[in-house]
Amino acid sequence: MITKIADNIISPLGTTTDENISAIIAGESMLERQENAFDLQEPFCASLLNRETLSQIFDKEVGQNSSLTFFEKLCVLSAKRAIEECNLSPREENVLFILSTTKGNVENLEKSLTDDRCFLSNSASKVARFFGNHNTPLVVSNACISGVCAQIAAVRELLSGKYRYAVIIGCDVLSKFIVSGFQSFKALSPEQCKPYDIDRVGLNLGEAVGTIILKAGNPSKDTYWQYVACAIHNDANHISGPSRTGEGTYRVLNDILNEVSVEEIGFVNVHGTSTAYNDEMESIAIHRANLDAVPVNGLKGYYGHTLGAAGIIETILSMKAIDKGLILATKGFEHIGTTHPVNISNQIRKTDKTVFIKILSGFGGTNAGIAYRKGGNK
Amino acid sequence: MEDLVLQLKNQIIEVLNLEDMTADDIDASAPLFGEGLGLDSIDALELIVLLEREYGIKLSNPTEGKQIFKSIDSIADYVSKNRKK
Amino acid sequence: MKVLSQVQITPSSVILNGKSISASSINGIYREFIGDYPKFFKMDSLCKLGFVAAELLLKNIPIEEKENAAIILFNRNGSLVTDRNYQKTISKEDYFPSPALFVYTLANIVTGEIAIRHKIYGESSFYVLPNPEESTMNEVVRNTFLTSSPSFILTGWVDYDNDEDYLADIKLVTK
Repeated sequence: MITKIADNIISPLGTTTDENISAIIAGESMLERQENAFDLQEPFCASLLNRETLSQIFDKEVGQNSSLTFFEKLCVLSAKRAIEECNLSPREENVLFILSTTKGNVENLEKSLTDDRCFLSNSASKVARFFGNHNTPLVVSNACISGVCAQIAAVRELLSGKYRYAVIIGCDVLSKFIVSGFQSFKALSPEQCKPYDIDRVGLNLGEAVGTIILKAGNPSKDTYWQYVACAIHNDANHISGPSRTGEGTYRVLNDILNEVSVEEIGFVNVHGTSTAYNDEMESIAIHRANLDAVPVNGLKGYYGHTLGAAGIIETILSMKAIDKGLILATKGFEHIGTTHPVNISNQIRKTDKTVFIKILSGFGGTNAGIAYRKGGNK
Repeated sequence: MEDLVLQLKNQIIEVLNLEDMTADDIDASAPLFGEGLGLDSIDALELIVLLEREYGIKLSNPTEGKQIFKSIDSIADYVSKNRKK
Repeated sequence: MKVLSQVQITPSSVILNGKSISASSINGIYREFIGDYPKFFKMDSLCKLGFVAAELLLKNIPIEEKENAAIILFNRNGSLVTDRNYQKTISKEDYFPSPALFVYTLANIVTGEIAIRHKIYGESSFYVLPNPEESTMNEVVRNTFLTSSPSFILTGWVDYDNDEDYLADIKLVTK
């Protein structure tokens, strides 16, 4: 059995998982209009971390460390908090570190095109070495689905028996590089995003880091979150446009539905970026998978799209929501704006179900999903 | 106008990496997307950059581009009326 | 794992299943073995390299056998070469961010290009490693069969640094 034994989220809404889930239940968001951020002329709406405050927290909690970039400090801080929660000994040989990121330290290219901190594996190695771990860390770089793919990679490593614990860190920080790219794609909404809404015009970007620690073996607590099923599929259609038939996501849902029954699913936590095509694509896939009646929700209205962190933090928040018997509200949603209506709401709903599915889609035509079940004594 | 059409053809061949193609191969009145040159959504975004860089024209709404980017002729027409450089 | 076929492409040689092929450059392989896929010229170098390497292994496999295949690639540079090229389009003095470059600033796009060409609907995954460690890569690929049943996996190292320094070393494997 593979169970989750610890987690952490650091976002503009808080530096612990509890702070984050409380803020979301209260309907908070730090998505704000940014003027001149990252030296960009065109304003945009994003949820940004306070670098100064977080660096101070890092110095106090971890100690001053000039060899780590801000991105790497976030990864270390989040992983440290999760590791301490479960008293894991991170230097042991049976612990594997996995990093989910799309662009790592890409902001360093602005100073030097040959900065070797831009190699993603350098960041991952630094983080693993920080904790005294000497296994080669895996870097999953699968665009926006990386956070779910990193969990899937962890599940496989644990199932193989080679490792007993996987520390999965998802993180991206924003930069001129990333924001200008999304602007050139005309993908950004000038206001707070509206997932699945008729008036949605684009996505918001956000910064966050999240850590999940998975363990192979018997659960260490009476109640636990257990991995159930996963899948990754390509649309085989276009490198940036979502499939018009929802092919990849449909196949992901279909694979997962071979392992879980519709009756036990509390909700599907969607990607819900609030672009016209993504949300439409997902609604088609959900419809094709006969999940129209199952509640769905999306969390981009609280954090924006946090890229490599999205799959991690949205999984953690889905677990915490079911722990409280809740389906989190889809902030920003008002009137259904997809061809196939889905069961979505901007209000917090109740559930007594124990399974959720987390899905993501991204550039490269990739789609991924993972399902977890809450087990043990309720 | 003919000069502008030729200039646009050459610029488009370059920025969209239309290898093995010369200006003569492109019919200025033929559709650029779908059939014709088979351009796609990323090409459309790159054409928006081209108009801004070369002619000082800012298109903020990609759907606006749909009409303008119908053919080389329609782009030339729009550029001649709206160019700032 | 059983290896069905393999190919290695470097700036100086192309070796398919142990035999040297005359086509030399990446474009040369495209012209000799593909020739009718204009989107090839829109790809960045990493994608071109992975695309032609995959073509040599997949071109004779019937489309229905490819549908449930998986693509799992690794490299060291990620998309760094294109990252640098994109960075040049956002300088203060000459600020025209290129969407056609930005889309290739993700290493996994190469898996998407291969999936589109061969109608592969299975898994597509990309991992970045410090070095081409055979044991780590084989482990990841072997473990893929623990949670999925692809008909075969196209896998290996596809890394592009510059015209004089690139390597595609990929293979088709089954369980």
